[in-house]
Amino acid sequence: MKKILIIMMAVLLVGAFIGMAAGSVVNPNTLVEETIGPFDSMDPAWAYDTASGEVIWQLYENLVQYDGTSTVNLLPMLSTNVPSVADGTILDNGTTYVFHIRQGVYFHNGDILTPEDVVYSLERTVIFDRAGGPSWMLAGPLFPMIDGQYVSTIVQVVANELGLSNPLNYTSLSSLGIFATGTKNPLSDKYKQALINAFNLLAKDFEIKGNDVIIHLPQPYAPFLYILAHGANWSSILDKKWAADHNAWDGAADDWWYYHNPVESADPLRDIENGTGPYQLQYWIPGREMAFVRFDNYWGKPAPVKYAVIKYVNEFTTRLLDLLSGQADVIYVPIENLSEVENNPNVRVITKLPTLEVDNIYFTWNIASQGNSYIGSGKLDGNGIPPDFFSNLDVRKAFEYLFPYKQYIQQAWNGNAMQPNSCIIEGLLGYDPNIPMYQQDLAKATEYFKKAYNGELWQKGFKFTAVYNTGNTTRQLALQALSNYARQINPKFQINVVGELWSNFLNDYLAGKLPMYMMGWLADYPDPYDFADAYFASTGAYGSALGQNFIDFAQKNLDPLVNDLITNVVPSQRAAIAQKLSMLSYENALYIWTDQPYAYEVQRTWVKGWYYNAMRPGIDFYSLSK
Amino acid sequence: MLSFIIRRLLLLPVTLLGLTFLIFLFMSALSPYALLSTYVNNPRQLQAPGAAQNLIKQYGLDKPFYVKYVSYLNQIIHGNLGWSQTMNETVVQVIKTRFPATLELALYSIIPIVIVGIWLGVVAAVHHNGLIDQILRVVALIGYSVPAFVLGLLLLFIFYGVLRWLPPGRLGLGFEMIYNSPAFHHYTGLVTIDALLNGRFWMFLDALKHLIDPVLTLSFLSWAGLLRITRSSMLEALGQDYVRTARAKGLSERVVINKHARRNALIPATTVAGLMFIGILGGVVITETIFNYPGIGSAMAQASEQLDYATVLGLSLLFGLITVVGNLVVDVAYALIDPRVRLG
Repeated sequence: MKKILIIMMAVLLVGAFIGMAAGSVVNPNTLVEETIGPFDSMDPAWAYDTASGEVIWQLYENLVQYDGTSTVNLLPMLSTNVPSVADGTILDNGTTYVFHIRQGVYFHNGDILTPEDVVYSLERTVIFDRAGGPSWMLAGPLFPMIDGQYVSTIVQVVANELGLSNPLNYTSLSSLGIFATGTKNPLSDKYKQALINAFNLLAKDFEIKGNDVIIHLPQPYAPFLYILAHGANWSSILDKKWAADHNAWDGAADDWWYYHNPVESADPLRDIENGTGPYQLQYWIPGREMAFVRFDNYWGKPAPVKYAVIKYVNEFTTRLLDLLSGQADVIYVPIENLSEVENNPNVRVITKLPTLEVDNIYFTWNIASQGNSYIGSGKLDGNGIPPDFFSNLDVRKAFEYLFPYKQYIQQAWNGNAMQPNSCIIEGLLGYDPNIPMYQQDLAKATEYFKKAYNGELWQKGFKFTAVYNTGNTTRQLALQALSNYARQINPKFQINVVGELWSNFLNDYLAGKLPMYMMGWLADYPDPYDFADAYFASTGAYGSALGQNFIDFAQKNLDPLVNDLITNVVPSQRAAIAQKLSMLSYENALYIWTDQPYAYEVQRTWVKGWYYNAMRPGIDFYSLSK
Repeated sequence: MLSFIIRRLLLLPVTLLGLTFLIFLFMSALSPYALLSTYVNNPRQLQAPGAAQNLIKQYGLDKPFYVKYVSYLNQIIHGNLGWSQTMNETVVQVIKTRFPATLELALYSIIPIVIVGIWLGVVAAVHHNGLIDQILRVVALIGYSVPAFVLGLLLLFIFYGVLRWLPPGRLGLGFEMIYNSPAFHHYTGLVTIDALLNGRFWMFLDALKHLIDPVLTLSFLSWAGLLRITRSSMLEALGQDYVRTARAKGLSERVVINKHARRNALIPATTVAGLMFIGILGGVVITETIFNYPGIGSAMAQASEQLDYATVLGLSLLFGLITVVGNLVVDVAYALIDPRVRLG
């Protein structure tokens, strides 16, 4: 099928050159983006995917925003100032932030923005706290630490208020046993009071003084402003009255738990919006398209184009033909199809855009061995690997030297990526190009393989399965390359590369069965802590999945640094900590850092005003005209 | 016949029950972690400690098979088919919004299928083993062999990529906006009909324009089958005694073919056409995907990809319902067309 498609595409491109109406702008009053998707929710407190982020970007606004292409500098948005130490709006060693709320800002329903709306919105994200959602990013800075650690959910604060031991182990209200069966009604006044107390700890962070919102953090949290910046949909500002009218919590302390962690179908703000953004929702056809219309009462200058549409079109050929015909202005093109749109005079392809994203190969330090065919015999006998195979530093270093970094970037990414030296990638505070990174060196790989297990590994060989999620060709190529080179240096080294459906992949990943696999991390906010916590912390999203040996290692060597990275507010010191973590990653061969991909954009040449920002989820229609 | 219809209708709930049971049985082979993939697209969603377990608990993914099954049946009884995670709305709503699109596509497709298939089948039979017959057999073979994605992409390339005549989707951008505006009344969910009822003739034409490519794709794939059935039954009819008698009476060849042979040859063709219609109603995954046509076929494809079992189950029930009721209608129609057939 692929070959047929390629041939057809080639013919199509030739035909398109002939058939394409050259200059005239199609649909001049409407911007059309065709992408894959669809998006999840319009509720800023629920959404945690880029497709939803893109929709929310057009509709809602935050206190501050990124300055054009910069992921470091901020500009005012619904706040008329960006708090800073210099002007006295960041005080008390970085724990107090003063925001002057913009006046004369209208929500889409005509309500006027107030400081109460700001407080309500941030509080709502914290109490909403849906499982698998983004609320942890605000819970961390806004609650006091417990047992020297940042909390990730209000549930932990409730557990602490109840006096439970190890409160950080509690992650769902139902696990606290405080509600009557099948309800969210507290069983006693004591439980109810604990719930209220937890909320009050949050509420006391906020102070409204005239038109200012003052946020008092219980402790410093260096990336706090980035967590509030536009693009971080969890910090979007809602209309409190409108939200309450739509049964999305009224801001009261004594019933917040009824609005905590709902199922998606019960979220009242899932399919409606009332932001202050330059566009408002015109209609939404679930699974298919979103249409926006210019908001005429926008506080800034009006959007240049009246309508904007995001269409979710899964078939690439259809998207391509729509682009060539002018029915679409911007489309998503998979990396392997990028060459098909290049060199077309009516299509602009912008490449080499720096992202805040990293891809890597994981070593599971303790692999779950029960019924796990991925590790063969489970022994070092040439027909498998022992479950703690990757706890061995020599083994990990050997694999680091085995990977063909340059070749992979050239072939899998067509050069549209760069090699990172750790997860503290270029664009983040603390990135240091001088930190060494591994290069393919088969002699060194051989040396480390021979050294591992006192030469036994080299003699007996190994056999295991490396897994990628199907459909991701770059990951497949990376693991395949590793497999080929392993066999090249020793025919007894066998890595079976297998593609798994996402459901099976996730199943085996969560069960700790995957010996080696590949995934990546996209910045939630442009700060090294976001990456360091995920990869290096013993409790991080990725670190915690690598097994007990890694957790032990991380607790001893990495956790203190990760913790420093977030509590320290002096940029130069934070950069030094981040560099130290990168160095530790290199020395201990923690991950194979394969690539930091470049983003690219494919659009009609008549599109004007486009700019790139690595923290923006998709397109900013407001900046575009045609 | 009435007792036959009642019996078949009584079997309907049993069939659907069996269908749900089978799908649930397959689903039960999946672990809670695998089922979690419906709700987790990226491991970063599991950044907060305990997120995976919380999601499993919240959506009851760890409950035993029978508990989930009984709860699902209880839901169905109350008219609730669950929540579609891929479409972000209830499954009932997915069916309400998507089925009319597929129905419209099926209705417009069955017309050329029947007309062209039967006509060419008769022509081929009349010119049995002649040049026309040979050509039509080759064409039918091509229709049989060409996969939908090849023909679909080819039509898309020619009529949209090069000629710019027939765009994909259901409506052009401007009409799409009108169609989704509160001012437009959705009487039937069929765009062509609703456009006329709203007095928007240009929208009607635009909808027709968008239907041509998918209809061509579907009909070319299906009329080839109908051609073959009609041809063989026509050949059989032409060899019957009553045709010989008609010819012996001195009737013209046109009357013999049209009134005597074709009428009888149409009986099996009608049955097959009915089944084809049911097949199209069941959702045409590839055609709908290629032409970005928002029917239940493309919804099913998306839901299956994401292991969205509520949608898969709901749409499977719909397919089951269509198939059972459709077959019943075909059987009854068969009995009505052919008096020799007695149901009961």
